[in-house]
Amino acid sequence: MIRLHNLERSYPLGRGQLFYVLRDIDLDIAEGDFVSIMGPSGAGKSTLLHILGMHDHGWTGEYFFDETAVHHLKAKERATLRNEQIGFVFQQYHLLDDLTVYENLDIPLSYRHYSKSERAALVADALDRFQIVGKKDLYPRQLSGGQQQLVGVARAIIAGPKLLLADEPTGNLHSSQGEEIMELFRRLNEEGMTIVQVTHSEKNASYGKRIVQLRDGWIV
Amino acid sequence: MTADLKYAFRMLVKAPAFASIAILTLALGIGANTAIFSLIHELFLRGLPFKDPSRIMHIYGEAKERDLKQLPFSVPKFWHYRDGQTVFSSVAADWGNGYILTGLGEPVQVLGENVTANYFDLLGIRPILGRSFLPQEEMHDDVALITENFWRKRLSSDPGVLGRSIALNGVVTTIVGVLPNLPISWFGRDTEVFTVKPFENSNATKERMMLGYSFMRCIGRLKPDVTMEQAQSAMPALVQSYRTQHPETADCTWTSVLVSASEDVTGDLRPAFVTLLIAVGAVLLIACSNVANLLLVRFSGRRREIALRMALGADRRDVVRLFLLESTTVSVIAGIIGWCLALWIVALAPKMAGDNVPLENSISLHWPVLVFTLALSLLTGLAMGCYPAWQSSRADLIEGLKESIRAVSGSRGQHRLRRGLVAAQVALSMVLLATAAMLASSFVRLSNQETGFRSDHVWAAGIGLPDGRYPDAASRGRFAQRLVDEVQASPGVETTATVEALPMSGNYSQTPYARADGNPLPVNHRPLGLTRSISPGYFQTLRIPLLAGRDFTERDGTDAPLVVILSNSTAKKLFPGENPLGKQLLFGVDHGNGLMAEVIGVVGDVRSRELAKANDVEFYRPSPQRSFSFFNLVVRTSVNPETAAPMVRAALDKIDKEIPILQPNTLDTIITQSLGQRRLTMGLLGAFAGIALLLAVVGIYGAVAYTVEQRTAEIGVRMALGAQVKDVLRLVVRQGMNPVLIGLGLGLVAIFGTGRFLTAQLYQISPHNPILLALTAAGLAIAALLACLVPARRATSIDPIQALRAE
Repeated sequence: MIRLHNLERSYPLGRGQLFYVLRDIDLDIAEGDFVSIMGPSGAGKSTLLHILGMHDHGWTGEYFFDETAVHHLKAKERATLRNEQIGFVFQQYHLLDDLTVYENLDIPLSYRHYSKSERAALVADALDRFQIVGKKDLYPRQLSGGQQQLVGVARAIIAGPKLLLADEPTGNLHSSQGEEIMELFRRLNEEGMTIVQVTHSEKNASYGKRIVQLRDGWIV
Repeated sequence: MTADLKYAFRMLVKAPAFASIAILTLALGIGANTAIFSLIHELFLRGLPFKDPSRIMHIYGEAKERDLKQLPFSVPKFWHYRDGQTVFSSVAADWGNGYILTGLGEPVQVLGENVTANYFDLLGIRPILGRSFLPQEEMHDDVALITENFWRKRLSSDPGVLGRSIALNGVVTTIVGVLPNLPISWFGRDTEVFTVKPFENSNATKERMMLGYSFMRCIGRLKPDVTMEQAQSAMPALVQSYRTQHPETADCTWTSVLVSASEDVTGDLRPAFVTLLIAVGAVLLIACSNVANLLLVRFSGRRREIALRMALGADRRDVVRLFLLESTTVSVIAGIIGWCLALWIVALAPKMAGDNVPLENSISLHWPVLVFTLALSLLTGLAMGCYPAWQSSRADLIEGLKESIRAVSGSRGQHRLRRGLVAAQVALSMVLLATAAMLASSFVRLSNQETGFRSDHVWAAGIGLPDGRYPDAASRGRFAQRLVDEVQASPGVETTATVEALPMSGNYSQTPYARADGNPLPVNHRPLGLTRSISPGYFQTLRIPLLAGRDFTERDGTDAPLVVILSNSTAKKLFPGENPLGKQLLFGVDHGNGLMAEVIGVVGDVRSRELAKANDVEFYRPSPQRSFSFFNLVVRTSVNPETAAPMVRAALDKIDKEIPILQPNTLDTIITQSLGQRRLTMGLLGAFAGIALLLAVVGIYGAVAYTVEQRTAEIGVRMALGAQVKDVLRLVVRQGMNPVLIGLGLGLVAIFGTGRFLTAQLYQISPHNPILLALTAAGLAIAALLACLVPARRATSIDPIQALRAE
C-alpha cells in the first residue's frame, strides 16, 4: 500500500548546510498492517508521519501510495488523495473547542463531497459505533481526555480512510484510557484498517504487528 | 502611580506598531471632534461679542398667510415700536450701506452701515478710541465710527484719528471713534464704517419710506426683568396700534416675531452642524471601538504578566489601574495629535465655506476647545480601556502562570464583544458613507442645476454712486448708460448691462404687486414679488431667452410709461390662459396703491435667489423707472472674463474717476460661492466618512487578522482534516464578514430611522435612495471583504504541522 524509497527530509542551516531529519528511508507498509514507529525524541518519527499523511511536502525521494507516485503529485492532488485515503489522530486530540461532538465529527465530511443527508447518516453511524450518542451535543471541554480521544478517533475514520495515522494517540491519557484507545485501534486493524502510529510506549507498540525504529533520521 | 505611568510609557514604546495604530486612530477621531467642536463653539457657543447677547432680540416682520418671513422694518414702524414698546430697555436699527471713500489715495468703495445713535450702546460695544454716537448727532451730524481694521489699514493707525475728516460719498465726515473689529456673523464681511443717518435712504423717496418701505434691521435689548416670551407676547399690541395709527403703510398687516441675536446668525446652520456633530461622534465611536479591540487583544495577551503581578500581591484594582493608565496615555497623546489635526481642519473651513457661512477668516482654538479636547481624550481613554482592563484583570492566576508560548484567545464574551464592535463600526460607517454620498449627490445635482441663464464668460462688479453728485434717477441713468456704452465699445466685450442685484449673490428686493384689473387687494395685503431693476441688454448678457413681447429699450426712461417684463412662471401665475402682454400690474406702495406698469415682455425662468428653489414670481423693471444708487455691471466677454476689469476701470476713468469698482468677480464664482455651506458640510462629512471607512476597514482587518492568529491551531487541524485553500478562505471570510453584514443591516435600519432629519439638507434625492444605499452598502462590503481577504490569504498559508506543534 505504501512504499517509500530513498526518502529524505532536511532543513537548511544556513551557509548552504542542511540538517537532515530523515535519511534514506526505505519502507514498505502493506494493506492491513499495523506499524508502530518508535525512537527517541528528535528521531524524526512525527516528521515521517506527516510525510506519510502528505502534510509535509519538503522531502525528496519516492513515495508510492497504492501505486500512485505521490512524489509526482501537486499539492492540490496530494490534498485530494489525503482526504480520500487518510485519517489522523493527534496526541492533543485537536478537537475544535467551539464545536460540539457532533459538529467535530462532521468537519472532515464537510471538506469532502458528501451531501447533507449523507453526512448526517455517517455522523450518526460514528456516534453509534463509538457509543457516544449521548454526548453528541457536548463540547470537548465537557468530556474526559479518553472521551475526547475517542471522538478524535471517530473523527479520523468517519470518512472511511484506508490508512489511519496516529501521533502518540495515548500520550495525554492515563493508562486505562490509553488501553481503551489501543483496543479500539486493534479492532479497527482487525476490520482491515491500515494503521501507522508513533509511540514511545513499548506496551502500545505491542498492539501493532511490527515496529519501525528510527534514530537520528535513519531506520535502524 | 508615577511608576505605573512610566511602565505604561515603556510598554507603549515596546509595542510601536500597536501604539502608533492606536494613537493615529484615536487622533483622527479626536481631531475631527475637536475641529467640529471649534466650529460649533465659534458659531453657536461663543456667542456674539456683545454684552449679554441672549438679551438682544432681532424683531422681524412676518405675514404667514402670504408666506412672507424675516421681513425688515420701515421707518414709521421703527419709530412706532421705539416709542410705544415697554419690554425693551432700548430699541435700535441699522441697515447696510456702501460708501465711496475719497481723499485717501485711490477712491475706494467701503462697506458700512447707517445706524441709530444708540446702536452700539445697545449691543454693548465700546469704542477702543473715542466715543460712540451721541443722541443729538442722529440725523444731524456727519460723523462716523470706523473699525480698528479701517484705522490700521487705511489710516495707518493714525494716533490723531479722532476728529480727522474723511470723505464718504463726497460728504466730509468726522471720525469720532474707533470700534473694535466686529463679528462678520452680525455685520457681514468687511464692514468698516458707520454713520448716524439711519432714516435717509437714497433708494427711496420720503413718501415711499413713510408708506412702509422696509429696509432696516430692528433690534431691542430686553429689560432686565422681561423674558423673551413676555416680550413676544407684547408684540401683538404694538402691531395692532401700528395698524391703527398707520393703516396706509404696506407693512401694517405684518405681525412681529422676536428671534434672539445668537439664533438669528446661526439658525440656518444648525441642521448642517448637528449632522456634522453626529458624524464626528460616529467617527470617534468607530475609532474608540477599534482601539478598544486592540486593547482587548493586547491586555488579553498579557495574562501571564497579570497573573505574576497578582501572585506578587497586586489586587484587581491595581491591574485595572495599570491598564487604564496605558489606555489614557494612548488617548492623551492622540489628543495632542488630534489638536494639531483640528487646527489644520479649522484653518481650511472658512476657505471651503466661502462667504456663505459667517466664519471669521482665521479661527483660533479657544480654551473651551482645549478643555473639550482634554476631556474627550481622558474620557475616551477611560471608556475604551475600562472593559478590556476589567476583563483582562479576571485572569486565573495558576492558568496564567502556566501559559507560555501559546497565545490566549480570550473568553467567548470577548469574542462576542469584538464581533459586536466590528458590527457597530460597520453600521456607523454605513450611515456616514450613505449620508456623505447623499450630500455629495445633492451637491452635484445642485452644481449642475440649470439656472436658466448662462454664467460663463460673465464678469460682474458693484458700482455705487454718491448721492451728492448723482441725486436722482435721471443722473444715475445717464451715468449707467454712458458706462454701458463705453464698456460695450471695448475689445472682447460682447454685451454689457446693469442690474440692481446679481443673481445668486444673496441680495434681492421684493415689491408688493397686484393685477390692476378687477378689484386689487389693498397694498398692505398684497404679496411681495422678487423684483430686479435692469438695463436693456441684461437678458442678452445673461442669455435669458425672451419668450414673448420685447426687451427694454432706452425709450423706457424715467418719464416714459412704466413697463415690466415677467418671468414665464409669473406670467402663468398671474395671467393663466391669457396673453399677459399689454396687461397692467400695480407695483410698490407709491400713492398708497402702487404704480401701474404695463407688461411688455415675458422671459425664461431663472433661479436667481437660490439654486435649490425655482422663483415663484420674478419681475424685471427698467433701471430708470426703479433707480438705485448702487447697481451691478455685468459684462459678457468673448475672452477670459477677468479681462473686463481693466476695461471697466478705464471706462469709469473717462466718466468719473472717483467711482470705484466694488467686489469684482465672475458670475461663475458667485454661483459657486452660493453653495459654500453645502460645500463645507459635504466636504467635512465626506472627509469624516472617508476616515470612518478607513477606520472600519482597519478595524475589520485587525479583528480578522487577530482571529486568524488565534485560530492558527484550529485552522491547522482543519487542514489536517482535509480543509483546502477555499475551505480556509471561506471559513475566515465568513467569520469576518458575519459582523460586517450585521453592521450593514443595522446601518441601513439606522438610515431609514434617521433619514428624515437629512431631508432638509438634500436636493432632489431621497435619504432612502435605494441605488445610493445599495452602492454604499456594496462599496463598504467590498472594502470589508478585501480587509478580510488579506488575513484569510495568510491563513491559507498556515503550515498544519507547525500549527499542530505550536498547539
